[in-house]
Amino acid sequence: MTTTTTSGTTTSPAQTAPADFAEYWAAAMDELAALPIAAELTYNALRSNEQATVYDLRLTSIGPYRIFAFLSIPTGSGPFPALVQTGGYGSVVHLGSFEEKQRYVTLALRHRGRRLADQPFAAAYPGLLTTGIADPMTYIYRGIVADCCRAVDFVLSRAEVAADKVAVVGDDLALLTAALRPQVDALYTTPALFYDAAQIAPRTSAYPLEEFNDFARAEPDQAAAMGQTLAYFNPRFHAPQVQAETMLVTGSAPDLFSPAVLAPLVAAFPKPPTTYETAHSSYKDGVNQATWLANRYGFGAPILPPHWQ
Amino acid sequence: MPPSNPAAYGTAVTKPHDFDAFWADILAQAATIPLNATFTPAPMRSTPQVEVFEVHYDSLDGVRIAGWYCLPRHRPAPLPAMVFYPGYISEPTLPKAYAQRGYACFGVAPRGKLRSNGQYNPGYPGLLTHNITDRFTYGYRGFYVDAWRVIDILANRPEVDATRIGVQGGSQGGALTLLAAAMCPQVAAGSAGAPYLAGMIDAIQLTHSYPYEEINEYLHLHPQARDAVTETLAYYDVHNFVDRIRCPMIVNIGLNDDVCPPETGYAVFERIGSADKQLYAYAGHGHDSNSYVHGAIVNRFFDERLAPQPVAA
Repeated sequence: MTTTTTSGTTTSPAQTAPADFAEYWAAAMDELAALPIAAELTYNALRSNEQATVYDLRLTSIGPYRIFAFLSIPTGSGPFPALVQTGGYGSVVHLGSFEEKQRYVTLALRHRGRRLADQPFAAAYPGLLTTGIADPMTYIYRGIVADCCRAVDFVLSRAEVAADKVAVVGDDLALLTAALRPQVDALYTTPALFYDAAQIAPRTSAYPLEEFNDFARAEPDQAAAMGQTLAYFNPRFHAPQVQAETMLVTGSAPDLFSPAVLAPLVAAFPKPPTTYETAHSSYKDGVNQATWLANRYGFGAPILPPHWQ
Repeated sequence: MPPSNPAAYGTAVTKPHDFDAFWADILAQAATIPLNATFTPAPMRSTPQVEVFEVHYDSLDGVRIAGWYCLPRHRPAPLPAMVFYPGYISEPTLPKAYAQRGYACFGVAPRGKLRSNGQYNPGYPGLLTHNITDRFTYGYRGFYVDAWRVIDILANRPEVDATRIGVQGGSQGGALTLLAAAMCPQVAAGSAGAPYLAGMIDAIQLTHSYPYEEINEYLHLHPQARDAVTETLAYYDVHNFVDRIRCPMIVNIGLNDDVCPPETGYAVFERIGSADKQLYAYAGHGHDSNSYVHGAIVNRFFDERLAPQPVAA
């Protein structure tokens, strides 16, 4: 059964996990494991200061493809907890904040297609979300998820990092990364892209989810294939593999990703995650994230920007 | 800790004596460059309700600039127009949904943004300090002009009523909104959220958050350049433009904004020349400046002043 929406597209019934879901991701991780990380660190004098040393970091992911990250290491004796920041949907991920860099090893990832990792593939916005989407093997996010896992592999290899204190922060990518890397200790995730996307995207005309609607309108004969590909990336099917302590951020009741909409995702975790309903305030939401991580790693009160104090 | 009364903080920004001449010269250079605007249909992004076009036009130094243009398919003519200016790291808006409200909508990608970065690409971080010791080549010189030329494009479109052009944006988009309202007399109304690039030398004392932190990083590495940096920024600080604004203007800020500190928001609002202006200062909000709720105020503000007509679904 399908439902026609006001935008003229159709929604599909809630997905079930593909039969070869585990094999699909095992193959991707095997492909990644077969490649050397080949880390190259270049000291970045401009971004370094008395509190932290910053490096431009290049790593190899599947393809093979060379990805980029800003890595910062606090001044002082480690090992330190690590924050792997997978970022939101866009071409830029900022470095870790001034405050975070004082306590955590931070890795701000520019996955393939993002700026500084845009050769030979430069992502289009809009466009990235449906690149190669008609086939799960060609979908760009297969490689992007691998890029995120590679970032975790890298921090786990560093002596400056406390290997039992690796946190991943971001949207759906953070959740998928934690599912595929059981060494991740803490997950702070704000679903925004892939959760039941085939059903949720037709409810909005806002980007980035509108990219799925654009694709369905422009390529109606491939819309079903898009839905099948998206099933491999649905956080609902990854959540059962997450072992990390998790904070899951939801929208509020009127929002696309409301607590009610995300309830099946929450239920899919093996251990119920802590949920936090956004205050639609970057200040309050930021304090929540900083406090949760500081508590997790025994710092007590977080270091906050002056205007958040 | 930040000052206890951000409204009273003021600013250390000064206006160079040749500020007006500096920008008059840049605008004279720009005026010699034809827009050569092209509008290419984007069927992939279009819907039964909205036509989407990919726009390109020429700007300062011959840099080709991109944008998205969205028109309601079933439209009464002429339409009011709305320009959406992008934030520092955000991708330019494709304002399809807003077009359905009865506006001709333009989402611009000034130089360095994706699709406008073939000839100029300082990166992020990078733009804020690109050539920051030289006002004649500073990165924002062309960037500002790119934003202003959108108004020229819209004012010459047959489907647009040139007397009803609005501008809006948040953060860097808020800065460009104030700049367009100041420098383009065709702008009829503007809404700026959490304006950036205003009180820059104040902001670097008040915050270590990006993007302003880029300037602190630059000065940390190049302490001898402080005077030159201060001099350059004075020519680009939004504070020095906004006394020219005459159109209705609303500004929203967050009192817990670590990115664009509220002290700078108060100071630039105070300086706006329009008599029809209103500030919305939201406690408990950061750089979001309560846009989740304030969006309805913005829509009502423009609907009252630019009078869009309902379009058929």
